[in-house]
Amino acid sequence: MAFKRSDIPGEDIRLAMGMAAKRRQLIDETPATPLVYEYGVNRLAKALHPGFVKAVIAEKTPCSADCWRIRLEPAGGGEFPYFRAGQFITLSCRAGQSFLSRPYSIVSSPKEALEGKLEIMVQKKGIFSTFLIEKAPAGTELWMGEPSGDFYHDSIRDRSHILAIAGGSGVTPFLSMMKAIREGSEDFRLTLIYGARTKAHIPFDPEELAGEGVEVVVVLSEEEAEGYRHGFITADLLKEYIDDDTSVFMCGPDAMYRFVRKELERLRFDATKIRQERNSVGDREVSEIKAFRLTVHIRDTIYELEAANNETLITALERAGIPAVVRCRNGVCGFCHSRVLNGEYFIAKENDFRRAADKKFNYIHPCSTYPESDMEIDIPIMNP
Amino acid sequence: MDKYDVIVIGAGNGGLGAACRVLNAGKTCLVCEKHNIPGGFATSFVRGRFEFEASLHEFNGIGTPEEPGSTRILFEQLGVADKIEWIQLKDAYHLISEAEGYDFVMPFGWEAFAKANNQLHPDGEKYINEFFELCQQIRDAMGYIGEMKGKPDPQVMMEKYPDYFACGSYSVNEAFEALGYPKEIVDNLNTYWCYLGADGNNLSFLHYANMIYSYFSKGAAIPKYRSHELSLAFEERIHELGGDIWFNSEVVKILTDEEGHVCGVRLKDGREIKSRHVIANCSPHVVYGKLLDSDAVPERALKLTNFRKLAGRGFTVFLGISKSVEELGLKDHNYFVYDTSDNVKQYESMKTIGNTAAQATVCLNNADPDCSPEGTCIIYMTTLFTDDAWSSVSKEDYFKVKNKVAASMIERFEKATGTNIHDYIEEIAIATPETYARYCGHPQGTVYGYESQYYDGLMNRIQMVEEDRFVPGLRIGGGYGERLLGFPSSYKSGVNEAGRTLRDIEKEGR
Repeated sequence: MAFKRSDIPGEDIRLAMGMAAKRRQLIDETPATPLVYEYGVNRLAKALHPGFVKAVIAEKTPCSADCWRIRLEPAGGGEFPYFRAGQFITLSCRAGQSFLSRPYSIVSSPKEALEGKLEIMVQKKGIFSTFLIEKAPAGTELWMGEPSGDFYHDSIRDRSHILAIAGGSGVTPFLSMMKAIREGSEDFRLTLIYGARTKAHIPFDPEELAGEGVEVVVVLSEEEAEGYRHGFITADLLKEYIDDDTSVFMCGPDAMYRFVRKELERLRFDATKIRQERNSVGDREVSEIKAFRLTVHIRDTIYELEAANNETLITALERAGIPAVVRCRNGVCGFCHSRVLNGEYFIAKENDFRRAADKKFNYIHPCSTYPESDMEIDIPIMNP
Repeated sequence: MDKYDVIVIGAGNGGLGAACRVLNAGKTCLVCEKHNIPGGFATSFVRGRFEFEASLHEFNGIGTPEEPGSTRILFEQLGVADKIEWIQLKDAYHLISEAEGYDFVMPFGWEAFAKANNQLHPDGEKYINEFFELCQQIRDAMGYIGEMKGKPDPQVMMEKYPDYFACGSYSVNEAFEALGYPKEIVDNLNTYWCYLGADGNNLSFLHYANMIYSYFSKGAAIPKYRSHELSLAFEERIHELGGDIWFNSEVVKILTDEEGHVCGVRLKDGREIKSRHVIANCSPHVVYGKLLDSDAVPERALKLTNFRKLAGRGFTVFLGISKSVEELGLKDHNYFVYDTSDNVKQYESMKTIGNTAAQATVCLNNADPDCSPEGTCIIYMTTLFTDDAWSSVSKEDYFKVKNKVAASMIERFEKATGTNIHDYIEEIAIATPETYARYCGHPQGTVYGYESQYYDGLMNRIQMVEEDRFVPGLRIGGGYGERLLGFPSSYKSGVNEAGRTLRDIEKEGR
């Protein structure tokens, strides 16, 4: 072969055999300075994704007939992680016997987070929202899961105009986006179409929000008032605000999604350009409520509890006061990824976002899974 | 349980392989993983109606059940082979390189690949046959050295594998120059360089030749359900063998006793677990810089770790497309889109943000038509940064910078293949060096461990593996290990370190 660095016999072999000695020498010559294991990249990763942080309720303000704004501050001061307008956080705390976690979209803009301000909007409807509004005074400390979710404008995926359709506290991610547009951290146009029963049900000031690149349209279903549209979010109304560079974003109750999707279909709007924020997976209807035995492994600890077939496994875990990790509560994010050792279960097809291999090897997301027999599962530890 | 024979830090490929090896030998083992799922980079994630592969492009060394490759054999020994469904890839790659005007598809298989080189040069087949015979000799020599546990008989080496030592000190570029092959043939053989991420002046020829020979002769495959299937197959095997894996359980300290021997680990929540043996499936920078108390780290460990060069930092754009590959006119699984086939130039221009001189792009549906719903397809594009360019990006700019790089890669791919994908992007996810740093904790977000350097290549590391360890009871395996980066290498490294740990345990028992 052609490998011959010199005419000296055996020179190539000597060179190859000598590489270790040369390497040894080079290591000897390297300084024994302390190792750098964290660089700018690692620090940025940690700043954007700190996992759980402690937050304190700073202020609570009612903003409509059934919505409150709650402002959080980092426990001990400092800043909150920068995020993408439209994302949500998770709040967790012990409430009575239970350990509860819920996702809340952020009202604040990304830059406000860096000033240590993070506001959420809470609509009074469930056990945790009632707890936050009625039983958690200013100063209450909560665990806050980092900003997450992909309900944000992406300059590659989405068109330059967002037609944002919202109802109830579903306006929250759009409030953040509108602030972000105003402060210059986002660059797209947004038209908000907000459906409410009456003016008293609007949790924001429409006039305050409108500005360059932002238009606000409120549609009242049970009241006629000047400056407001009356009726429902129909195809005719939507048509007025759709141009040839529009993506639709929706956030609100499932009934609103079904209605608006039908209207958009009538307009032959490209369904791949519609995004909707998903709602929590709640209880399900069953012909007969049954209680099953749930055995839960967390590391080397075993818990025994009861789980009803009309409630998700996460609900059973929370009620038993077991600190279970959960983030989105709608089956999507996989944060509560858990192994099934035994038992039968049900996951609605529309809430099943498990990876293909999870199905093959029998893993579930407890936030979207209902027990159908006694079960034994292994869940990750809540370890902030 | 608060005491194990072996604790594995990190459930990446190396850690999973190590745990299976330890458990197969009847020892008790706990794997501590800081994330909530196993696999490290060997994972997948769901966005809308798409499930994206996080890292794997093609897995070499699998072969077929009838003609198994070395990794399939290893998986059989570990007891995971039956748990994984493989899809064999038809072609090796479609290379598009602008400077030279290359635009061709190369098949797998020694003969087919050799013949395909005739389109590049009239004597292409002859050169490739000669090259593969050399590779075969290198591979056989490595096998023999392994059988002799690193102490081969020099006489046998000289007689049977004369070229092994002859080219042992050569870089890839030195070797191709010595071989005197025409530029087109060399460029084609250099195509896989980005899978090792070091330029041809530094990359060890023995290492590269061994890898590409494995690809071309045995072909490559992908697991049917993304690499998450591999990771869960290992997890299942670990449970079958009585092992434990704890998720969300970051190790923050490796504990040592008065004699400097490993005696356990401390988890983030303060819990301590005892063990005389730890296999760390993470960066030595983290092990020696953070996990061990500084007085437990010998000076030479610092020298060695400072001596090494962090390798390619990853960047990937994942796209869920609302058109099929047929509608887009994309026929191949694996595209390499290069500005030039000169990998020294590519390596240089990949040091800064803004250039995507090289991208490896996978159209997954061309390997597995069922990987996404009908009328859609999955495309992912990967590039590397060969320097720490992302450390200076601010949080306010971060999202914009990553979208800018992603957009340029999409545009580059569209231009090279004459397709429009931008208009049909239904889902997008972008992984930057920050993302890799976030999930796996690697310094600077490297995905390739330590770069293969002239004096820190495969042969050096294997030869000096015992010399490169310092703390009794502690071994480091995985992508930073002696076999360098890549799926097969990281599994093998973990398994090898586990084998050495088992010998350590045996010695202790005597």
